[in-house]
Amino acid sequence: MIEVKNLTKMYGNLKAVDHLSFEVAKGEILGLLGPNGAGKTTTMRILTCFLPATDGTATVAGYDIFEDSVEVRRRIGYLPETPPLYPEMTVTSYLDFMAGIREVPYGKVRSRLNDVLERTSLTDHRHRIIGTLSKGYRQRVGLAQALIHDPEVLILDEPTVGLDPNQIIEIRDLIQNLSKDHTVILSTHILSEVQAACGKVAIINEGRLVAVDSVEHLTSGGDVTLFRVALKPATVDWRETFASVPGVELSHVGGEGKHVTFDLRVPNAETYDKVFAAAVAKGHIFTEITPARASLEEVFRRLTVGETAQNGNGGTVQ
Amino acid sequence: MKIWSIFKRELQSYFYSPVAYIIFSSFLFVVGYLFWVVMVAQKLATLEPFFGNAAFVLLLISPMLTMRLISEEKRSNSLELLLTSPVSPAEIVMGKFLACFFLYLVLIVVSFKFPAIMYAYAQNLDWGPIISGYIGLVLLSAAFIGLGLFASSLAESQVTAAMVSFAGLILFWIIGWVKFAVEGPIGEAISKLSLIEHYSELVKGVVDSGNIIFFLAFTVVWLFLATRVLESERWR
Repeated sequence: MIEVKNLTKMYGNLKAVDHLSFEVAKGEILGLLGPNGAGKTTTMRILTCFLPATDGTATVAGYDIFEDSVEVRRRIGYLPETPPLYPEMTVTSYLDFMAGIREVPYGKVRSRLNDVLERTSLTDHRHRIIGTLSKGYRQRVGLAQALIHDPEVLILDEPTVGLDPNQIIEIRDLIQNLSKDHTVILSTHILSEVQAACGKVAIINEGRLVAVDSVEHLTSGGDVTLFRVALKPATVDWRETFASVPGVELSHVGGEGKHVTFDLRVPNAETYDKVFAAAVAKGHIFTEITPARASLEEVFRRLTVGETAQNGNGGTVQ
Repeated sequence: MKIWSIFKRELQSYFYSPVAYIIFSSFLFVVGYLFWVVMVAQKLATLEPFFGNAAFVLLLISPMLTMRLISEEKRSNSLELLLTSPVSPAEIVMGKFLACFFLYLVLIVVSFKFPAIMYAYAQNLDWGPIISGYIGLVLLSAAFIGLGLFASSLAESQVTAAMVSFAGLILFWIIGWVKFAVEGPIGEAISKLSLIEHYSELVKGVVDSGNIIFFLAFTVVWLFLATRVLESERWR
């Protein structure tokens, strides 16, 4: 549905987007993830034909964003970072205006209007003046505006910013419902949001794509080699039991004497068996063993800060 | 359809804020005051002074009506919304122009009361110059809006837009004086750009196609430039 190839955007000498390439299939939700200033908004602005790219191309629904800009714009619903509202208008008159410029056929305006008001739970606020609405409601009006013409592609720049937790969940559900017949790109720097809402993640840093994959793939890289262990040691020299197995690293977290907790890193699965056999032989009692999966936070930090994690698993245990 | 949507929204927003009401009442008050003074003092059954005054007051208030047209959209980011919708810059400019023009037309229609008052005192009014004067006023409004719309497309701040359009209007108002300083065809040619020269001919009752074409061309040129500025917005 969306194909981006070698997209580059220069602001003077500053490379905001650097040879970005990715694809989004129909019905997919792609989360654009990256620290502030990574080029998320710029990428979205290029895709919505608001900014020109310096180099590279992109197509939306088969139309080139430069050659067939109008066709692309017909098929896109866009929620910019700050919802562009006219504060003096009422919700209904604003959406009516948007329906007009987004080419909703005259006879369908009313039904589309009722539909998006329903979906964004704005029906009770339809006659309010936008300027008097709270931030969360304005965000919903912004979203309603992006949906009014039932576009094939939705581009949402930080859709949940400024919302309270209940509203965030509502909007997330809404986006997931939409993905049945829409293709969605949303940007965020909130990782839990990507985990909750997106099937696919593209991590961007300093304009470059550092990873694009499904959330499951990104968070489960390779064998699990890191464990959090809670232990009732049988002897005082419990550390040596573990240290005797070659390749094992141990970092003490807390507790002393009767109950200790530590992170255990083993180089491979065989060593794992040895370590635990050795510990059991010495009479230590395990009370807890938690295998660590890299959280998206860790993956994100690793990829954007440039930390190289050992053995494919980074950071600490959750 | 899209032009109509933009036109409707623009016109609504004039009346959501007090701007339109204030401008309407001050125009009618000032022009009415001058009309009364001149009529009582001169005791002449002519509307020539009225057209002069109306045009000048219009020049003063015009930047106030046009300044927000595009700069407001720029400031509040709603331009991003317009430019990412399937609307062309020409449609945006046209819708906005027509909304503002409609407002002027209403104002002009309301000012029909002045010839009506005059008619109550002098039945021997010469209607020819009055009709051609009104044609001039309508064309002049279009020209004012065109320039103001262009100024508004340049600036993000409404105040800047108002200053630019005010300076521009004043310049094209008095540019005819060049002919007193520069002799020969060059001075003549430049002074042909003067709005007031063409306008005063219409007020005198001379409906020359040259005058009408001048106003139309003047308007179209500024609207075209405003369209180009909006288009360039996408390429920055």
